[in-house]
Amino acid sequence: MISAEAIISQLLNGLAYSLMLFLLAAGLSLIFGMMDVINLSHGSFFMIGGFIGIGMVDALGNFWLALFVTVLIVALLGLVAELSLLRPMYERGHLDQILLTFGLALIIEDAAEWIWGTTIQSLPEPESFSGSVEVLGVVIPAYRLVVIVVGLLLAGAMWYVLERTRLGSIIRAGVSNREMTSALGFNIPAIFAGVFVFGVALAAFAGFMAAPILGVYPGLDFEVLILALIIVVIGGLGSLTGVFWVSLLIGITQTFGQAYFPAASALIIYVVMAAVLLLRPEGLFKRKYA
Amino acid sequence: MGKGKWVFGGTAEGGSALWKPLILVAVLAAVLVGCGGGGGSREDEPIKIGVILPYSGVYAQLGEDITDGMKLYFEQQGNEIAGRPVELITEDTEANPQVGVQAARRLIEQEGIAVLTGAVATPVAYGVIDITQRDNIPFVVSNATGNDVTRQGAENVFRVSVSSYQVSSPMGEYLVEQGTKRIVVSAADYAAGHEMAAGFMEGFTRAGGEVVDEVYAPLGTNDYSSFLTRIRQADPQGVWTFYAGSDAVRFVQQYSKFGVEAPLYGTGYLADQDTLPAQKEAAIGIRTSLHYSSDLDNPENREFKSSFREAYDRQPSVYAVQGWDAAWLIGEAIKATDGDTEDKDALIQAMEDVEFQSPRGPMTLDENHNPVQNIYIREVRRLDDGTIGNVVVDTIEDVRDPGE
Amino acid sequence: MTVETRPEQKPPPVPRRAPSRLVWLAAVGMLLALVVFPVFASTYFIGAFTEIMILAIFALSLGFLMGYPRLVSLGHAAFFGGGAYAAGILAVRLEVTNLFVTLAVGLIFAALLSLVIGGLSLRSTGIYFLMITLALAQMVYVVAQQWNSVTGGTDGLAGVPYPELFGVLEFDRVGFYYLVLALAAGSYLLLRSVTRSPFGQVLRGIGINEQRMRAVGYDTRVYKLVAFVLAGAMAGGAGALWAHHTGLVAPVDVHWTLSATALIMVIVGGAGTLAGPMLGAALVWFLDTGLSSYTEHSTMIMGAVFVFFVFFARGGIVGIARSVWGRVHGRIGA
Repeated sequence: MISAEAIISQLLNGLAYSLMLFLLAAGLSLIFGMMDVINLSHGSFFMIGGFIGIGMVDALGNFWLALFVTVLIVALLGLVAELSLLRPMYERGHLDQILLTFGLALIIEDAAEWIWGTTIQSLPEPESFSGSVEVLGVVIPAYRLVVIVVGLLLAGAMWYVLERTRLGSIIRAGVSNREMTSALGFNIPAIFAGVFVFGVALAAFAGFMAAPILGVYPGLDFEVLILALIIVVIGGLGSLTGVFWVSLLIGITQTFGQAYFPAASALIIYVVMAAVLLLRPEGLFKRKYA
Repeated sequence: MGKGKWVFGGTAEGGSALWKPLILVAVLAAVLVGCGGGGGSREDEPIKIGVILPYSGVYAQLGEDITDGMKLYFEQQGNEIAGRPVELITEDTEANPQVGVQAARRLIEQEGIAVLTGAVATPVAYGVIDITQRDNIPFVVSNATGNDVTRQGAENVFRVSVSSYQVSSPMGEYLVEQGTKRIVVSAADYAAGHEMAAGFMEGFTRAGGEVVDEVYAPLGTNDYSSFLTRIRQADPQGVWTFYAGSDAVRFVQQYSKFGVEAPLYGTGYLADQDTLPAQKEAAIGIRTSLHYSSDLDNPENREFKSSFREAYDRQPSVYAVQGWDAAWLIGEAIKATDGDTEDKDALIQAMEDVEFQSPRGPMTLDENHNPVQNIYIREVRRLDDGTIGNVVVDTIEDVRDPGE
Repeated sequence: MTVETRPEQKPPPVPRRAPSRLVWLAAVGMLLALVVFPVFASTYFIGAFTEIMILAIFALSLGFLMGYPRLVSLGHAAFFGGGAYAAGILAVRLEVTNLFVTLAVGLIFAALLSLVIGGLSLRSTGIYFLMITLALAQMVYVVAQQWNSVTGGTDGLAGVPYPELFGVLEFDRVGFYYLVLALAAGSYLLLRSVTRSPFGQVLRGIGINEQRMRAVGYDTRVYKLVAFVLAGAMAGGAGALWAHHTGLVAPVDVHWTLSATALIMVIVGGAGTLAGPMLGAALVWFLDTGLSSYTEHSTMIMGAVFVFFVFFARGGIVGIARSVWGRVHGRIGA
């Protein structure tokens, strides 16, 4: 049954899912692109964003306020992690970063289970967007449109900052040539800490925004981590544009695949990744920041 | 070469690297002391009952509930049966069959348990049955629903929960009687999902119903949008589903949001105590079939609910009842053998003869040691006290598993 | 800046060892202890050590890849589980329990699988290699989970019996223990001689600086592929033994979390050595099993132990042992 209505519906769902993926993967790509650091605890911060978010919504009563506070809290946690654990790893190379952040992720997952329990919890949507709307003849939850809009806004904002502002050019310079930028007087460790914290904040933001759709539970962290890693690797580590387009690719093919080939849909993302890496072993897009 | 630091983890010039090996030895010692020990109990006094359940991971709450139900029974017996003290030895399976197998082995060989019970996930049950057969240890399955668990006909295996077929098929006939004849079936794409769907469809088509479409979503799907769109397009009179745990929460939450208007049905695992707190109002109106409902009005359930609430400060779930009945089966059988747990054949015979007084209502065991029991049709409503819970609207009596 | 780990930041080849006769003595001593062990150990512990040795072979094969050609794979469980499934399917669906056959089929199937996966993955390096091995292994997982008729799907294959040999020799718990011990020792010796051979030297060279080896004229892709298949086959053999030992094969046996566990075993034991990963397997097993009887938080503790090792004892158990030896003998370990 391939009706126009079905296709529009799948497209919209796919778009919402893609932008959710983009929000998730952007932080990981940023940290790698800016700092050449691979952070396997990215999914953990995503999950914590959801858990703390639920508590904040309970306490504060307002979705957007809770979002703001949650992101701040998790950003702080990210800062602590960066200063204590991650900083010594910068010079140690990718393998050690992978190992360390993986160990950290294990610890965080168990701690989350301890603190918040094992059953899935949900974060309620903002009241003004909690119903369904009809768009182009299809019924879709209003919140999904919110995700689409917020995702696009964020993508636009990030692109703008990186390409058109002084801050962006400093960051791009720092990654492109660390020693030179440092010699020019910029405080590289501070910039790195800032980028890491921003990346973590993005993860928490994504986790909070995705929570009304995905729910929050221990185990979510590794599920989204794999997704994020795959997207970032296919998109070309460090390329934000790449992450954007690849998120779109994966989101849409996954949604359509699920609708028409459900048994094979679990394989789609892996097949796409294997195919891309075979044709272009370094990802689809060249690194933009180096 | 300063790079030696990478491999050896310490510098020669700087501080002492001795604390590292010391910590390593300390950790090893602690672990060895912890995991050594045990064993060697042959004619000891206590009755050792091994419990393999998930205490971590996504099914941990179920493991807790079952254990609490068991503990309640034994505490009411003063923690002793036939004059012998009872010792429950628990092991975490993490819902991982390999871990479960290893845990069962440790309990049987190291701890010398008399009886084994547990298994939330069906794969764990299948893996463990084999091991229990080698020593003829009675194994009381307190949750796993896989049909073959009892259809295999193993003498030492008992089940006190329900089989997939048993819990899903009665609703098929029920729905046809209610006038719902065109239905879409949707389930999680794994063994349990297919078994449940098959059970329902057999009951449904046998009663004259028509299954318009079958939609299987991969386990752990977080975005059901494409499946729900497909379901809506089939325009059925009703949608019967099997989803459990987090899948159930997400499916139910997304169901009405995608414009599916047909009423939603399923097994009790779709909307029960573990999922309702997250599903909230989205679940209202769902009808499910299960072998227990907390609002059942019989003396055993009234008694059970109040003692459970007193002991654990929460409402008992179907899992707690299963735990209670598992403990009952074991306890009453050992009373019947006068405390003898060495003669396994006699113990098994005693277990076959146990009469249940279960909070779920009438319950006996069939030749495959699977329960014969009522299946209740429940509806999710907002209750008088404002919470959202299940209310029994119909009862199907004497439901058995066909046995093959 | 390249994507892969910069050459000057990679750990150098293991420089100094304790005098070989002492190491030999320790090894022989341990072997003797393992041989005598079943005489006074309980049935449970014999089974437990059998399990540890099987996992040690698995970790050893990954350790070989990580230590010599420096290939860090997050998909090694695909071969282990693949071998387990091959053996399990033979035993349960086709009722073949001859160890010679099940082991051979496990090895061959895993070798073929690693040929395919290796062929596809080895075009990439560094983080890309890691990710593609993960992705391809996850595809194996999805197949194992969904192909009900062959693999048993999510329920897995239960009822895999202990093996026998040509209908003449039946293995029981103790017999199987000795079999696994022999195979573990054999695997170690095999890989040891491989690493000491010219082939092994080339591998080591590739691990240190692949470009240089290529410049000298070696076709590094072929060498890496051969090493990958060798490691994969060995993992598959371990998997076949695993199927017989636990009696069950399930999708968890090919899941990436098992690959990650193997990685932890290698690091904790001592990456860059052969004995290290085997010791790491034992330590991780004890931690996991010992801890989970006492706490529900074994994952957190494992994570913390792992982080500890990465931070302070990057050379793993072997590294610690060597630095202790170095101190004791007033020698500088760097």
